[in-house]
Amino acid sequence: MAASVVNPIAELSIPANTEEVRRASAWLELTCLERGVPPDEISRLDLCLNEALANVIGHGGTSIRAFPIRLHVDVHRNQTNSEAIVTVSDSGAPFNPLANPPKSRPKTLAEAEPGGLGILMIRKLSDNQSYRYSNGNNQLIFSVRWPKVQQ
Amino acid sequence: MSTDISFVDVSENFRRISISGRLDISGSDAIALKFTSLAVATNQRVVVDLTSVSFLASIGIRSIISNAKALQQRGGKMVLFVGENAAVTKTLEATGIDTLIPMFADAAASDTAALA
Repeated sequence: MAASVVNPIAELSIPANTEEVRRASAWLELTCLERGVPPDEISRLDLCLNEALANVIGHGGTSIRAFPIRLHVDVHRNQTNSEAIVTVSDSGAPFNPLANPPKSRPKTLAEAEPGGLGILMIRKLSDNQSYRYSNGNNQLIFSVRWPKVQQ
Repeated sequence: MSTDISFVDVSENFRRISISGRLDISGSDAIALKFTSLAVATNQRVVVDLTSVSFLASIGIRSIISNAKALQQRGGKMVLFVGENAAVTKTLEATGIDTLIPMFADAAASDTAALA
């Protein structure tokens, strides 16, 4: 059976500054709750969204401020699973954050560098990640899945 | 939700720091200076209580790592107390931070480890 979309795709545009990240989080939570996404999965998406926005705003260069960052959420269900998919689109310089393989983990605190964890968190906390560059925009897509609850 | 930080000096060289709220970009920025000033002192032992942290982003982890490293370089030690906070535990485990900075669900165990 083909997957069905639970609700129309939800969209939000935010200016590219860090003060907007909490607004995006609040919107994501409400949007996901309205679509029946479980709390644990919302938490995972929220962390991934924060990391994605921090990356874009922090490293997107000057062109990032020319247009808003656009967020899309859609939820699909089939007979066995549901999936919530978040797309973060920005107008910054083309950059695929998933292109580089994950760094090896430090073995001691002395070796640890206090950065570079954002992409690791997106990889670890979401169930699927992809990137594409389309119409002058970076699009980072990540999703979480959960099994259908048996009635 | 606001992000707050407080502390209790258990003894001369042993401090418990409690953080609550969201450690996202705004929250981490709000407490960054105070966290460093409370955590980093020569030979100090520190337990960082994260049981009331509702959200831990990488910028919050970065702050914890920076302070733990600086403390270690001054002969001190930091451990993390997470209690039953599943979300924070999961994030610390996913990023491997629990292997770099000792993490405990039990308060007494975290105190013992900090003083060991």
